[in-house]
Amino acid sequence: MKDYRARMHFYGRIFTVLGIAVMFLVPFIIWAVTGVGPNVEQLLVGVVALSVLYLPGGIIEVLTYGPILGTSGTYLAFITGNLINLKIPCVMNARELVGTEINTEENEIVSTIAVAFSSITTVIIMTLGVIMLIPLRPILNSPVLAPAFNWVVSALFGALGYKYFKHHLKLVVAPLVVVIVLSILMPTFVYGNIVIVILIEALITILFARILWKKNLL
Amino acid sequence: MTRFLAASDVMTVKEAWWMYLLGGLVTLFIIAGSLFFAYKAYKRAKELEMPKENLKKTIISSVSFSILPSIGIFIGVITMAGLLGVPLPWIRLSVLGALHYELMAVSVAAEGVTVSALTVENFVTIAFVMTIAIIWGAIFALFFFKKYQEKVIDKVKPNDKKSFANLIFQSVFIGMIAAYFGDAFAKMINYEVREVVDGAYTGVILDRTTFVPLIVFVSSFIFMAFFDYLVTKKNQKWLENFQLSLSMILGMAIAVFLGMGGIY
Repeated sequence: MKDYRARMHFYGRIFTVLGIAVMFLVPFIIWAVTGVGPNVEQLLVGVVALSVLYLPGGIIEVLTYGPILGTSGTYLAFITGNLINLKIPCVMNARELVGTEINTEENEIVSTIAVAFSSITTVIIMTLGVIMLIPLRPILNSPVLAPAFNWVVSALFGALGYKYFKHHLKLVVAPLVVVIVLSILMPTFVYGNIVIVILIEALITILFARILWKKNLL
Repeated sequence: MTRFLAASDVMTVKEAWWMYLLGGLVTLFIIAGSLFFAYKAYKRAKELEMPKENLKKTIISSVSFSILPSIGIFIGVITMAGLLGVPLPWIRLSVLGALHYELMAVSVAAEGVTVSALTVENFVTIAFVMTIAIIWGAIFALFFFKKYQEKVIDKVKPNDKKSFANLIFQSVFIGMIAAYFGDAFAKMINYEVREVVDGAYTGVILDRTTFVPLIVFVSSFIFMAFFDYLVTKKNQKWLENFQLSLSMILGMAIAVFLGMGGIY
């Protein structure tokens, strides 16, 4: 296990460096080809404004989702993106089906394969979409289909929620009560800061689980 | 090439063939990297003599599960294409980032910009801001993930069923699902929509309420319970890898039907 992991850290880090390089290649090539550089002032303002949110956000995501994604899964997912709306639920679903425990080597393998095939599916669909954009645009943009994709995340977590709720019925009570109260008191905060809400909810569930566990109720 | 070197017209730049080429390159990079790690994992699985069935299950369920959210992500390309052309949103949504993040990047990098006012300088600035401000997670993983794994994650002994540690991860999942339940629930009480026209926020905020996400959440939950019943009690094993996708499609179909009835 140690050996395999060490190699995955090694390859994962190379992949991350390459991935960052590929991402940066895009704006630099636009600059090189057009001969027009970015507006430095707007660039700085933009990066600082967004980083206030996304620097702590990125760190929290690695800390929270790293254990779920496993070694190579983490490196892959933090380049290919779409974590909470795709990669994490995808891994959760795969582990639930296969029945692996977190931080085992089997789980590393399952989560890596899940993240890898999820990433491949996404980029293939995106590419097909770009190729077929002209016939697809009116269909995907149609007001009839709009609600479906507007609420795809609710459908995703509703469906995924069933198995987790079924297996941990006692644990569900506290986070549900808290989130309902929060939603009634501060609705804009709840849907506007989902990363923070996930963190709060996770901590509450852990605390609640701790109490039940100590009382031997689980 | 020289023709493009002088490209100062933003309409030409944002739809240029070399932008599509870059998109293709990014796509190939992601496919190659994913296949590399999947292959390494597969080899390791063989060494550990993991049942092939489990790997097959993982692949089928991950692919089938990822299709719908990926179409959702692609709709983001269409949303942004009005302002930025197709290739840049295609590239950005294929890597680290998400639609709401990219839209925010547009609004902070070129405040109040519209399609007709967009310049090449705006376009380059937007591309840089989008790339830089989301990179932190990847950089943090690059430098600190290994240490974090050794010092924190490995302290958890997963095989000890009686230990509390095992419950921590389950709690994170449950917290996450509860948070998204809250996301749907809160929109029933108040739901602000930031208007997007031609791929950029207009600054107009529309105040609404909607029951639809909660209905979608609950119905997908119920459909999943039904499929789970078929799989476990009625022995319909073939459904196992598709139950999540099917529940999602049916939940989303309900949103479409509600929309047809004028409920949004």
